Amino acid sequence: MRAAEILARDGPNVLSPPKETPEIIKFLKQMIGGFSSLLWAGAVLCFIAYLIEFSKDKSASLDNLYLGGVLIVVVILTGMFAYYQEAKSTNIIASFTKMIPRNALVIRNGEKYEIPAEHLVLGDIVEIKGGDQIPADIRILTSQGCKVDNSSLTGESEPQFRSCEVTHENPLESKNIGFYSTTCLEGTATGMVINTGDRTVIGRIASLASSVGHEKTPIAIEIEHFVHIVAGVAVSIGIVFFIIAICMKYRVLDAVIFLIGIILANVPEGLVAAVTVSLSLTAKRMAKKNCLVKNLEAVETLGSTSIICSDKTGTLTQNRMTVAHLWFDNEIYQADTSENQKDQIFDQSSATWTSLSKIVMLCNRAEFKSGQESVPIMKKIVMGDASEAALLKFSEVVMGDVIERRKKNRKVVEIPFNSVNKFQLSIHETDDPNDKRFLLVMKGAPERILEKCSTIMINGQEQPLDESSVKAFQDAYMELGGLGERVLGFCHLYLPEDEFPDNYSFDVESMNFPTSDLCFVGLISLIDPPRSTVPDAVIKCRSAGIKVIMVTGDHPITAKAIARSVGIISANSETVEDIAKRLKIPVEKVNKREAKAAVVSGMELKEMSPEQLDELLANHTEIVFARTSPQQKLVIVEGCQRQNAIVAVTGDGVNDSPALKKADIGIAMGCAGSDAAKIAADMVLLDDNFSSIVTGIEEGRLIFDNLKKIIAFTLTKNIAELIPFLIFIIAGVPLPIGTIAILFIDLGTDIIPSIALAYEKAESDIMNRKPRHKKKDRLVNHQLALYSYLQIGILQSVGGFFAYFTVYTVQGFKPDLLLYLRPLWENDSLNDLEDSYGQEWTKYQRQYLEWTGYTAYFVAVMVQQIADVIIRKTRINSVFQQGLFRNKYIWVGIASQIIIAVILSSGFGSIPVLNFTTLRIQYWFVAVPYAIVIWLYDEFRKLLVRHYPGSWWDKTMYY
Amino acid sequence: MVTEKDKRTGGQVWEQWKEFVWNPRTHEFMGRTGSSWAFIILFYLVFYVFLTAMFTLTMWVMLQTVSDHIPTYQDQLATPGLMIRPKTENLEVLVNLSDSSSWNEHVQILDKFLEPYNDSIQAQKNDVCRPGHYYEQPDNGVLNYPKRACQFNRTQLGDCSGLNDPTHYGYSTGQPCIFIKMNRVINFYAGANQTMNVTCAGKRNEDAKNLGDFTMFPANGNIDLMYFPYYGKKFHVNYTQPLVAVKFMNVTRNVEVNVECRINAVNIATNDERDKFAGRVAFKLQIIKT
Repeated sequence: MRAAEILARDGPNVLSPPKETPEIIKFLKQMIGGFSSLLWAGAVLCFIAYLIEFSKDKSASLDNLYLGGVLIVVVILTGMFAYYQEAKSTNIIASFTKMIPRNALVIRNGEKYEIPAEHLVLGDIVEIKGGDQIPADIRILTSQGCKVDNSSLTGESEPQFRSCEVTHENPLESKNIGFYSTTCLEGTATGMVINTGDRTVIGRIASLASSVGHEKTPIAIEIEHFVHIVAGVAVSIGIVFFIIAICMKYRVLDAVIFLIGIILANVPEGLVAAVTVSLSLTAKRMAKKNCLVKNLEAVETLGSTSIICSDKTGTLTQNRMTVAHLWFDNEIYQADTSENQKDQIFDQSSATWTSLSKIVMLCNRAEFKSGQESVPIMKKIVMGDASEAALLKFSEVVMGDVIERRKKNRKVVEIPFNSVNKFQLSIHETDDPNDKRFLLVMKGAPERILEKCSTIMINGQEQPLDESSVKAFQDAYMELGGLGERVLGFCHLYLPEDEFPDNYSFDVESMNFPTSDLCFVGLISLIDPPRSTVPDAVIKCRSAGIKVIMVTGDHPITAKAIARSVGIISANSETVEDIAKRLKIPVEKVNKREAKAAVVSGMELKEMSPEQLDELLANHTEIVFARTSPQQKLVIVEGCQRQNAIVAVTGDGVNDSPALKKADIGIAMGCAGSDAAKIAADMVLLDDNFSSIVTGIEEGRLIFDNLKKIIAFTLTKNIAELIPFLIFIIAGVPLPIGTIAILFIDLGTDIIPSIALAYEKAESDIMNRKPRHKKKDRLVNHQLALYSYLQIGILQSVGGFFAYFTVYTVQGFKPDLLLYLRPLWENDSLNDLEDSYGQEWTKYQRQYLEWTGYTAYFVAVMVQQIADVIIRKTRINSVFQQGLFRNKYIWVGIASQIIIAVILSSGFGSIPVLNFTTLRIQYWFVAVPYAIVIWLYDEFRKLLVRHYPGSWWDKTMYY
Repeated sequence: MVTEKDKRTGGQVWEQWKEFVWNPRTHEFMGRTGSSWAFIILFYLVFYVFLTAMFTLTMWVMLQTVSDHIPTYQDQLATPGLMIRPKTENLEVLVNLSDSSSWNEHVQILDKFLEPYNDSIQAQKNDVCRPGHYYEQPDNGVLNYPKRACQFNRTQLGDCSGLNDPTHYGYSTGQPCIFIKMNRVINFYAGANQTMNVTCAGKRNEDAKNLGDFTMFPANGNIDLMYFPYYGKKFHVNYTQPLVAVKFMNVTRNVEVNVECRINAVNIATNDERDKFAGRVAFKLQIIKT
């Protein structure tokens, strides 16, 4: 069969997914990224050291071999862990984007088949009807009132007619092309498939999007920065001490082993895992708040966002037309536009209203889909266009069962709305059995309706349409139009019974009924109202220093009105045009600096040079871009990024995907969004609600703060691990802590407490801060590094050494004896080394004491890390202000530290290679005074920082 | 996200670096002004002085808690180790009969090692004790009363005493003496009131064959109980460690022989898997004759 041949040639009719990095590459990246390369270097050095030793002496100690093996295991395990976390979060979205299989009705060989849409091939004839997604790019062959929604493609939300005439050379503009993935709203059509899969218009845009590069997230840059600092410190200290060791006449092999120790001590092996877990915890928390994060690092990006470019429709607004205002009896009434309007409270006593409500109800072709009796009115699905649906719901709320009433007022004839007439008309029987007259109702563009009227109804009385009432009408029309609302006019006429008896046959073609000298009843204006949570969210953004820019395809007036009502343009700020109007001077004469707000149309944007756009973005705090094409969104995003801003962009259409990719964080709409947008985005808003972005930002900022705490916590003990090696080299004491014990701190006791810090609550209102500056507010600044390394870290080392000296002293080796004892201490054939009391020790007895020293130092660091995790709960507030017990996970972490240490020290750790020994209970407490000093000292630091903001202390000690 | 990668030329980097080191506009050296540096240095000075003081204080307190004459814990010295003299690199005693410099060093070490054992010195400093009994010296109320030591005379070592010995402890004739000593452990009652002695043997069968005969001084390799307990170097000043000398009479020439000596005492285990020197000592003996 021919179709199968073409299918084989062209491939299935689906968008090919964006090119994924192969899993193995992702995995390998985790293996060599960051600190892993340092650890690899350490492992290789270990093996080299072992080989050198082995070549000299066949019975060389296997310690270096074991250590190298352990290092490789550590790298692989942490790499696998990071990979697993990453994969888990991508899988969430993968399941999300999986397209629901769609079927298409295709005519082949004169017979109708229902086949999966992906089997469509070039030249197939397909039938579509209202509600269907168009299964491929098609050329319309026949059409009965077919309207399509091209919003996902062009951003225009107006339904568009499709017919079989070519109206434009550009296929995008021509009326006879239906595009893949757009929806047919109503009517039916048949069409021939002209493009499938990636060759469709949408497919081409999607592949364009995937070619826009995606650069590193801010947190990735920060972590890289941090890795550079730590690796720099590790390598430089390593090299310096390598040289020192050589100068001190150590063997090269020993110097190499020292180098390994120094690198190991400096690298926070557990940090990558802790950061990954913290980010994924936050991602989970955000998902609960309707922000689904695809890329873990995007969690933090959202927190550093400084500009949000938001769509209007659906994100800021409810994405449904709603009756906003009514005008009758020369008065404007406001209608309730909230999400769940229960009752309308405007004055409904006037007889004019009775008439108006009848017209609204009858002159309307929209209907509720059946089977929704239990669904609240506002949530019911309506068949019909947006305005009609709004009016239908409005009358349902105000008057009750519309369908029943329509039945009582049987429709005799109707003329649907079309763009030539600009009105809609229908003729009904009345529900009054005694009244045999027909009622003609009409609605449409207000000026067209007014033309057809000669009277106007005021308080139920028909009055001639004089100049004053026309003026009143004009004023109301202007006012409502100025609010950006779509205004409809309503009029009616009771046809005289004698001319139009009840058997009169109305004919739409010949229009054998009057369509002039009607009675004007009123105006109703419709708007897509803002979501009720948005104004608060915008205020929050503003106090958080985030600029909200509206980018919409809508008319500038509508856009501005919505911007005003949600606060994107605040109540007291003006645009250049507003100032000109107020001062009654020409627009050109207004000082542009005075205007905080700006409304820029797509046409104006087209004319602007990049410099002008920069100036616009820099000088106005409140900006609305209206009538923009999705392509211009990309221009706006780039402009914002030139301001060094971190830009979040929302989008739903396929055409938005390049902008979503380009943005620092692309946010796709979960409900309204197209799959292409979801694929391009970093985050998916499940409820399409702007205020969810704000809660996301809050989480993102919190995790940035908490990552600082985690890193500060993790870095501290690195000094306590490093100093022993330095003292060991310089002062020749027996080694205070072994490499394995270091790994047990980094990957054992410290892991859970550091993750627990991710649960820490914010210290103050993080939404009152400016967004962090990309280049100035680093994750790891020098204050953090210095405070952790040179203050708390050194304190911890001193505490560790105290414990170390204590266990040596109580066994007989006093501190003065230990200095420069190393050559004798490590001499294998010296089996009668004298201690401070004259007792003699064999090598193994000393070795065991050395392990006891490791254990004591390990326990001391663990005890002080308990104090460290407590002080890291806050950076400026007192721990007691924060609540010592509010974050339960911290205590889980502390318990884990103690339990792991107890397990290691109580036998489990005494298996070969691990080298832990059992420590007497009292030596678990030697470092406690130091732990207390750490706590007190940090409280003191925070106290001064709080009391002297801006002082030297604040600048030096606040990280 | 597009950040223009600021590609900086080498010159710019150098300029930036120069400005970082000394910024003439703000008078900043390495990113800080003079007063800022002064503050920082002062702060760290104070901080580290405080730390040192704290460390010193805690160390002082800790050292106050330990006794002068006996360490707080001795659990790691439950089994005393054995050791040989002369102590050589890797415990290999190499004697080249045609090259006196190969053993001269050993002889010098032994001369020095045995000097305190000279009978005259022993008689002058130490007591004559009752053999077969521990020489216990309780404090009897006087805190840290100085302790006396028992005599171990060099002459007790017989042929290995090196006194009037032209063969230099047998090294010049290929019949070397090896001295075995047991590590000192404070308050350790070695032997648990029963006699103990040192025995030696080749490690493996062929070693035993190559080892040949040997003689022990004092006879039988006995170590007397009177040299125990040891009271620590501070109060047991002239303590003389008992020795056992082993004279190897006819070791097979030009072969490396693995010798192991162990102590036979009730309360000293000699089979520790991990500590190869607990209650025993292993060494290599090689006598080269070309």
